[in-house]
Amino acid sequence: MIRYVLRRLALAVLTVWLASLGIFLAVHALPGDVATQILGRDATPQAVAAMRTELGLNEPLWQRYGDWLSGALHGDFGTSLVTHQPVADELTLRLRNTLLIAALAIVLGIVLALVCGVVAGLTRDRWPDMLISTLSLAGMSMPEFVIATLLALAFAVAIPIFPAVVTAGPDATVAELLPALWLPACALSVVMAAYIIRMLRTSVIDTMASEFVATARLRGLAPARVVLRHALPSALLPTVNVVAMNIAWLLGGVVVVESVFNYPGLGVLTVDAVHNRDLPVLQAIALLGAATYALLNLAADVVAMLLNPRLRRRAVA
Amino acid sequence: MTSISGGGISRRTLLGAGGAAALALGLGACSSGNSAGSFSSGAASGPARKGGVLRIARPPASSGELLDPASSLSAYEYLGALYNRLVRRGASGETVADLATQWEPNADATQWTFRLRQGVTFHNGKPFTSADAAYTIKHILDPDTASPQAGVLSIVDPASITTPDDHTLVVGLKTPHAEFPTLLTHYNCYVIPDGSAASIGRTGIGTGPFALKSFTPAAQGEVTANPDYFGGRPTLDGIVFSAIADVQARVNALLAKQVDVLAQTPLDHANAKAVQAGADATVTEIENAQINVLPMLTTAAPFTDVRVRQAFKLAYDPASVLTVAAQNYGTVAHDNPVVPDDPYYADYAVESDPDKARWLLKQAGAENLRLDLYTSNYQSGFTPLALAFKASVARAGITLDIKNAPSDSYYTKVWMKRPLCVSYWYTGRGIDQLLNEYFGSGSSYNETAWKDSTMDNMLGAVRREVDEAKRKQLYQDAQKYVVDNSGLLVPFFGSRLTGLSKQVVNYAEDGFEFDYQNIGLKA
Repeated sequence: MIRYVLRRLALAVLTVWLASLGIFLAVHALPGDVATQILGRDATPQAVAAMRTELGLNEPLWQRYGDWLSGALHGDFGTSLVTHQPVADELTLRLRNTLLIAALAIVLGIVLALVCGVVAGLTRDRWPDMLISTLSLAGMSMPEFVIATLLALAFAVAIPIFPAVVTAGPDATVAELLPALWLPACALSVVMAAYIIRMLRTSVIDTMASEFVATARLRGLAPARVVLRHALPSALLPTVNVVAMNIAWLLGGVVVVESVFNYPGLGVLTVDAVHNRDLPVLQAIALLGAATYALLNLAADVVAMLLNPRLRRRAVA
Repeated sequence: MTSISGGGISRRTLLGAGGAAALALGLGACSSGNSAGSFSSGAASGPARKGGVLRIARPPASSGELLDPASSLSAYEYLGALYNRLVRRGASGETVADLATQWEPNADATQWTFRLRQGVTFHNGKPFTSADAAYTIKHILDPDTASPQAGVLSIVDPASITTPDDHTLVVGLKTPHAEFPTLLTHYNCYVIPDGSAASIGRTGIGTGPFALKSFTPAAQGEVTANPDYFGGRPTLDGIVFSAIADVQARVNALLAKQVDVLAQTPLDHANAKAVQAGADATVTEIENAQINVLPMLTTAAPFTDVRVRQAFKLAYDPASVLTVAAQNYGTVAHDNPVVPDDPYYADYAVESDPDKARWLLKQAGAENLRLDLYTSNYQSGFTPLALAFKASVARAGITLDIKNAPSDSYYTKVWMKRPLCVSYWYTGRGIDQLLNEYFGSGSSYNETAWKDSTMDNMLGAVRREVDEAKRKQLYQDAQKYVVDNSGLLVPFFGSRLTGLSKQVVNYAEDGFEFDYQNIGLKA
């Protein structure tokens, strides 16, 4: 098992490196560079030339990538081309802010999904299932920014319980951000939960129809015990990967949702960095995203093994 | 006029409660002075409470934005609160005193002398002198600043800027300019302290009505009233600026009462209706706020031929474009970018004539012309304008294919690169700067790439002319020449619908400049 995890970690490093190369080339392929993007209509040839020289944009592509890579290997992610601040400092604050939303969204999303998924599975084709299935289909089909906007209009404008936007910057304290977490987290958890509910419902229906559940029932175990102790661990198995992918999806989902709420997190930073072609910032974000994906996938597989001893033995062999 | 009484509040109660401002707002919302429709033009005026903090939402210039007024990365909304210029534009386009009280040229307008206001201090307590004024101009001209205004001020000879005494500034010019002070009314020309180039981007030390308390680029900042302001203490105690990049998020912030004013946020019709429907927010129409243009690149086929350019100007009906694209929130411009209330405005128009346009195209060998018209969602008005223009020129047998380009690279990859696109400018520039920037062959903003020696000569002649009446004639001739020959299509001047809280009184702006001195919250 340890050898397996180590091999997967090595693969993860390779994935992350490939992602960094990919994003570097992709940003390079976008029209314009940081100088023309920032200056916009004021991009006189002199101003653009001065800025390119200042930022070292005239050096060859591979040299710039090499410089970045050797810095990153030493834990130095460079300085933003726009703010001239160290990328690591900027990212740390933003990451903290986004993790606040993400953590809340994950907790809300998983609790919602577990409850609704199991209820729907157990009440197959009856009204609770119909209701949950319809709502989760609606949640899946609506883009997260629509849900976010609707939530803002409902709970910030019509019934002013939560703030519609964050007016403070990224250095706001957690206490300042606390009231602003709920709407973005709800928007994300609705979309996230919708997928998991669909998966879990099917899984619960299959498991409840299986022989070992029938046996447990026939032996007269209490229905709650049958569901929680015997059926659920088995039903969760195929769901774990979906949960992991959805948590990783959060990183992308926050991009849009944070913009709607002007939330000073990674998402807004990403949009800004793409717009400005701010390569060092984008590289660091991409690295973070790729590492999250790789590690969450690994974590999902490990959890799956823990839930199912058969998988464990096969992986070791 | 419709009744304003509703919800159990009679007109008398409103008046009796000292709600003159509320009344003005209510009336404005119900009946507008112009024929266009339902939004009030000009904001509520009336008694403002002493003090209070105004919250303004603004789009960040970039995450690298600065408080250096000369920089192209300047955080625009802060500038008017923090700084003063030597001279500024008055309400009807004339040049009026700010830190300079008097100015006069020598006989051939190659040297200008400015008398400066006495007893003015910067926010750090240092007195304002001619050295600061001289430094400001040199700072703009410094290549390291890369100021967008450097090109316009390149007629200044930096070596000839002298300060005979603490309150006199003399500026020598390389070429005569009888309207030179108008070039100093631009927002890049706010006065900064002597020697402050390295720090001004963060400190924001000026002489203005408000002093900087805090500033974080692309985030939040605050300014507080300057009790020693030479124009008198401002009405407000302070202003909080919040950077909100997304337009819809800005509108939501206003509706949720988190901010009071939306800066640089032209509302499209749908959003304006939504704001107007809100209980605590309203919409104000700023007339002639924006010059809507379609630049025809004179270096690209088919616009290299002046007859094709003339045909395009004759082909469309500006009134119908204004109606279709902007629901009549605007004024027809007749391809002249000078606003009608400018003192030098030429009332000259070539009436729309699609048959003549057809004939001209035939002469130019460009019958049944088919062309791409580029647009983008850079501004909400772009695509409606493109569609309205396309529909209107169809009468003259011109087929335009609308191409939607990504907004984030529109001004680097489409504008001044494609033969025909949609664009805009904010009004508020003096006529000399405007004509030179759009049509001078050396300008980097000459978006039609028009290099025309007659135009350059006209612009040079008007600068040399010191007689006011003759200068007016020359400016008007230049405008007529522009209408007849240039590559700039100017269908209309757009009004800007801007959203603000009903608590805000005495809101006024020219171009994009707020009157920070008098704006206040309802008493």
